[in-house]
Amino acid sequence: MRATLRWAHSDLRTHRGEALFMVLATAGIVGSLLLATALFGYATNPWQRIFTQSHGAHVWIHTARDADAAKLAGLGGVESVAGPYATEAATLTSRGTRASVELRGTPRAPSVGRPLITSGRWLTPAQPDGVVLESRLARALLAEPGDLLTVAGTARTLTVVGIADSAEPRYSPGEQPGLVWALPSAVRDPGGQVTGLRLTDPEDTDYAVQRSVTVLGAGAVSEVSTWKQARAEAQGDNRLLGQVLGLFGLGALVAAGFAVHGAIGTRIRGHLRDISVLKAIGFTPGQVVRIFLLQHVAYALLGALAAATLTQGLGSRIPGRLGDAVGVWQGLPGHTVVLFTVPVGAVLFIAATTWLAAWRAGRVPPVPVPRSAAPAGGRLTGVARGALGLRLPPALVLGWHNAFTRRTRALATVARLALPLLLIVVAMSAWTTIDRFHSRPQEVGLAGALTVRPDGDLGDTAARSLLERDPQVADAYPGVEVAALVPGQTATIALRGLGTRAAPYPFAVAEGRPARGPDEAVAGQGLLDLLDVRVGDWVRMTVGDQPQILHIVGRSIEPENAGRVISTSLDTLRENDPHLRPTLYQLRLRPGADPHEVADELAEAARGHVDVHPVTNPADGLSPLRGVVVGLIAVLALIGIVELLSAIGGTVREGERDLLALKAIGLSPRQITAITVTATACTALAAVGVGTALGIPLAHWLIDAQGRSSGIGAGLAQGPSPVLLLLFGAAAVLGAAALAALPAARAARRRLADTLSAVA
Amino acid sequence: MSESPTPLLRAEGLVKTHHGEGAPARAVRGVDLSVVRGEFVAVTGPSGAGKSTLLHLLGGLQRPDGGSLWLDGERTDAYTEARWAVERRKRIGIVFQFFNLVSNLSVADNVELPALLAGVPPRQARAEREELLSELGLAGKERSLPGELSGGEQQRVALARALVNHPPLLLADEPAGSLDSKGTREVMRLLSRFHQRGQTIVLVTHDARLASAADRVISFFDGRIVDDAELDGTPPRRTGISGVLELKD
Repeated sequence: MRATLRWAHSDLRTHRGEALFMVLATAGIVGSLLLATALFGYATNPWQRIFTQSHGAHVWIHTARDADAAKLAGLGGVESVAGPYATEAATLTSRGTRASVELRGTPRAPSVGRPLITSGRWLTPAQPDGVVLESRLARALLAEPGDLLTVAGTARTLTVVGIADSAEPRYSPGEQPGLVWALPSAVRDPGGQVTGLRLTDPEDTDYAVQRSVTVLGAGAVSEVSTWKQARAEAQGDNRLLGQVLGLFGLGALVAAGFAVHGAIGTRIRGHLRDISVLKAIGFTPGQVVRIFLLQHVAYALLGALAAATLTQGLGSRIPGRLGDAVGVWQGLPGHTVVLFTVPVGAVLFIAATTWLAAWRAGRVPPVPVPRSAAPAGGRLTGVARGALGLRLPPALVLGWHNAFTRRTRALATVARLALPLLLIVVAMSAWTTIDRFHSRPQEVGLAGALTVRPDGDLGDTAARSLLERDPQVADAYPGVEVAALVPGQTATIALRGLGTRAAPYPFAVAEGRPARGPDEAVAGQGLLDLLDVRVGDWVRMTVGDQPQILHIVGRSIEPENAGRVISTSLDTLRENDPHLRPTLYQLRLRPGADPHEVADELAEAARGHVDVHPVTNPADGLSPLRGVVVGLIAVLALIGIVELLSAIGGTVREGERDLLALKAIGLSPRQITAITVTATACTALAAVGVGTALGIPLAHWLIDAQGRSSGIGAGLAQGPSPVLLLLFGAAAVLGAAALAALPAARAARRRLADTLSAVA
Repeated sequence: MSESPTPLLRAEGLVKTHHGEGAPARAVRGVDLSVVRGEFVAVTGPSGAGKSTLLHLLGGLQRPDGGSLWLDGERTDAYTEARWAVERRKRIGIVFQFFNLVSNLSVADNVELPALLAGVPPRQARAEREELLSELGLAGKERSLPGELSGGEQQRVALARALVNHPPLLLADEPAGSLDSKGTREVMRLLSRFHQRGQTIVLVTHDARLASAADRVISFFDGRIVDDAELDGTPPRRTGISGVLELKD
């Protein structure tokens, strides 16, 4: 053991860079894997916890006021029922912030879907105008217990007595009204009622919805929301972030495994002589394997330990959502286990790859024989001969020849180097795609930057003239959005009439064609999946009592409502209901206009008669991803550099054998250096080619798969620009050449006497 | 001497064939050899005769295709590579022509490593190393790396490393093969000195000057022993060239 330690210690002195790489790479990999788990935990856990603690309802059904919702309690599979509670749609304002809400009249604290009070207290009859706000809504309104809220359009005020968490779909400005619990007496103008069903088997949700709709009658049901939708929405982009991080973390782990394997392999080939001597003086094969294993496991352990300590100690101080996620994750029950298993798993993986490479070292014969049987180098190809004949610099031709002579090894080197490059290309594609949401939102279904909802007092003509007066507004598209029951009556979807035939709304159509004719519509991926239909199919849905039949002629990219949206023109809906009035306007702004500024201007100009909300951009939540992508690119670049150094080491060592011969045929040291540099650059070029050629389709596929599963739909992916790719390739090739120049020059000028010892 | 009960090293019918590219090369074909304690045996012959292969077989660095080998009366046929490594720590010291030292270990570490491997306490290993290096005129070079030393110095370090555990048997493969005449003389002097202290040495060389320091010279040709002569005047054991020609100084 002492001898082993002595050797390992001396080896560390001569291979400090390699040791540092191992430590840094393991730290980066373990760090990103831990952050990924933290994000996963953060994504799923809070909602799950709230749902369980609040004894949440699996289905919430909004019905007309006169529907006999009490009948729902008798349905099979329903464990218990919340409500029915009377609801009133209203807009609340507080300190200039407006939010549309649903006032829900609850005579006493519900036992199903129980709001979890986080501050303040529950309603008391002593304070009839008291309300409890859902926590997200409270955050949006900056409201605390004791604050006064005004009901827009009236002189009524409500007092906030408490703030509570709920597992129902969260408040989202302009899309989902916030939840406000009030005493029934405070719900003065109930427009409908809501009933929550808690099921004995959550998997029966679709069936329960179907039965409920049948019992109540399709005309009575205005909207249905299920726990699955609420959960998906709550997980939202945290889950995506976690997936991306996890994917890259694992990719980097595999790449690092290959890099370690390659690095040790190259070291072993370079140190055959030393290993033989070690064996000759009495190291057993097992000891030789253990030396390499011990060293690399120690480095990996150090890196993993550093990453775990950093994540545990400082992780919650990362600004933004990542920090929040780590903070929440540290309080979760499985946290310690993960904090232990992820680093251990990574170290074990690295140990396994090390063992594979070190096994070869154990098999090195103890006799330091010169390798007389030099590996058969390929003959110069005809092209190469021709090139030499054309007086191309011999260094170029020989370098090219060197890079690809030994096919298997050359291919393995290219493949290993291509892996981190491929992952970098994927990371760059993810970056560009996120960029696309901001730079060209109209291509990803976000043509309208603002949603305006006028109140009842403002007529269509007045609203339009108000909107079109603003110089920043390029177009205002009138529209309506209603909840429609799908054919199986298992869920509701959003039916949108937007734009007119004369001025159609610019949907981002990824498949098929835009809707132009009567009854034509475009739908999001989420809707196509829900109904199991394809572009070209006809679908029938129910809006209130009215059936609506639409021909889906295209698939649009739909970032809203998990893609469960079908959009047609306002004219099509008017054919069914000639008195239909637009309830909202989507505004397209002139380039360079700031949506928030325009929103403020419009709200001011309308003197409180409109709600203006900037459209939520799904990419806003992904901004922390950018920092992570940069960090991962750094880790991958590090791995790539190590692969390169291994390859260069190999080429230089192979070259040493030919050094005398090359000098003898009259090549200058500079030309000999150029041979190695050219060989390395050729290898890097091939790897860049492979990495890019595979990376771009892979990135497209991954991003589109993610888009499909989230309901937004395929067609989001955007590869990096050719200029960026060219720069990336040039940087990789030139970097490789620069990295090779120094060791190659040193080898070419080495004293000839030393080459004898380099033979082995 | 040959009547001694158990020879330190005994080989019977050793055969080794190299299977490289092209035709198999029969490096050692049926060698019987016995080396007793305190003997200095030189194996000479032209390059390619199979001398080095024979030495590698004797040190357990390569396995014979046929024949048997006894170390101190113990048969080694069933030894694994690991077992041979353990034997080499205590019982056999080896010096090669090139590639003698571990390039990234200092001179001190190179010498101490076999001692540490053999389980000697670090303090004692250090003392042994200091003593050997000063005897070999290398005091003050402890911290140098092999690459910083001359060929002769490297070979002396290798000798120190081979002898640090006081092995009963020293195998030397062309120890002066890559040295100039001064280096060669130095190595010869050192080998003689250790031999006079009772060290058993088997030396492989094609250099007649080096062989002349031995007290028994084996001529090796085409993988076979063609002559085995003791240089102290006793009659030859075998019929060979020396059986016909009487050597006189």
